[in-house]
Amino acid sequence: MTFPMNTSQDCLRAWEAMPWVLQDSATQEQSEWLKNHLAHCESCRAEFAQQTRLRRAMSLPSDIPVDANAGLNRLLSRLDAPMPQESLPFRSRPRSGNWLARAMVAAVLIQAIGIGVLGAKLLSTGNSPAYRTLSQEPSPVASGAIRVVPDANMTLTDWNALLHSLQLQVVGGPNDVGAYTVVPARSNSATQHTLQKLRGTRGIQLAEPVASTP
Amino acid sequence: MNEADLNADVADRMLLQRMSAGDRVALATLYHSYHGRLCRFLARLTRRADVIEEVINDCFLVTWQKAGDFRGDSRVSTWIMGIAYRCGLKALRQHGDEPVEDDAVPEERIPSTDPDEDRELRDWLGKGLDRLSADQRVVIELVYGVGHTLEDVATIMQCPVGTVKARLFHARVKLRNVLPALAGESPIYKENVP
Repeated sequence: MTFPMNTSQDCLRAWEAMPWVLQDSATQEQSEWLKNHLAHCESCRAEFAQQTRLRRAMSLPSDIPVDANAGLNRLLSRLDAPMPQESLPFRSRPRSGNWLARAMVAAVLIQAIGIGVLGAKLLSTGNSPAYRTLSQEPSPVASGAIRVVPDANMTLTDWNALLHSLQLQVVGGPNDVGAYTVVPARSNSATQHTLQKLRGTRGIQLAEPVASTP
Repeated sequence: MNEADLNADVADRMLLQRMSAGDRVALATLYHSYHGRLCRFLARLTRRADVIEEVINDCFLVTWQKAGDFRGDSRVSTWIMGIAYRCGLKALRQHGDEPVEDDAVPEERIPSTDPDEDRELRDWLGKGLDRLSADQRVVIELVYGVGHTLEDVATIMQCPVGTVKARLFHARVKLRNVLPALAGESPIYKENVP
């Protein structure tokens, strides 16, 4: 900070001391030094007079009337009233945090439930896999089961009529080569006879007993 | 700090202690004790009486709520003026910082007991303060009006002491050049502060 031009170091010192001497917070030494300086410096004397007038003007009470008692009553009413709106942000912040936390917990729960349902579904389908290992026992085949390959031109009506006439019912198929597994509807039916009938039927390409399959 | 200031601060601390225990009589005492100086201080920021009262009440609401938290790092008056300053700036942001013109203040609202000399002094001061920024007016008020030190003002305005010194210097030079001199001499000072 530089001081206004054309002033001596003493005037600079006087300028800086004036406010504190005026408000009586300067040291006694500082006050006496200023008093001596003002005695022989007309410029600083004028400045100090103006500073004194400034302090007196600043000390005048406010010219804007504000009723202290009415203001205090309103303040006391505010103390008794519920928390004002402007204070809410400070209190609502944790609340909004709670909502966020609750939403996140809900999302995690939904995910957990979804994963649980999916896992249960996978476990249930895992009981009957679409493959079989060599060490596993083959699935039991009903006695008298016959594997039949109908011709591609055979109609569904003819196929149903054939099964009905021979008292057979489909229990599997068709597989990749179009073979069906059929069993006698009644266990006492003669399998060999049925097999011959099937082989003699027009539209049946293959009829083999399952038990004889290697 | 002189003895009177020390005694006043001790009394203020006792009031704060009672307020922290919920004593509303202590609140009322402190309110009346500070009302005048807060009115004048806030009048340097705004000319609206309703805003001034609102800021004073905001200030004392905070003082009431935080009375138990006062650690005594500064004088109670410095602490309260700091709260009032921040509440005042907040109110200015909400209401707009354009002060009501002096002409808008009805003549009958000026105290009738105001002597002619005081009225002349007010007019003289008004001419100078109109040329200052809000921050400069606040510094002048705190130093010349309330009697705070540079360190107190820095605490109140939450800025470095150097900033307060610069604002005070600029304000004084501006007032020196603007205000009609008592002895009739022409202004001689120039602002060389960057």
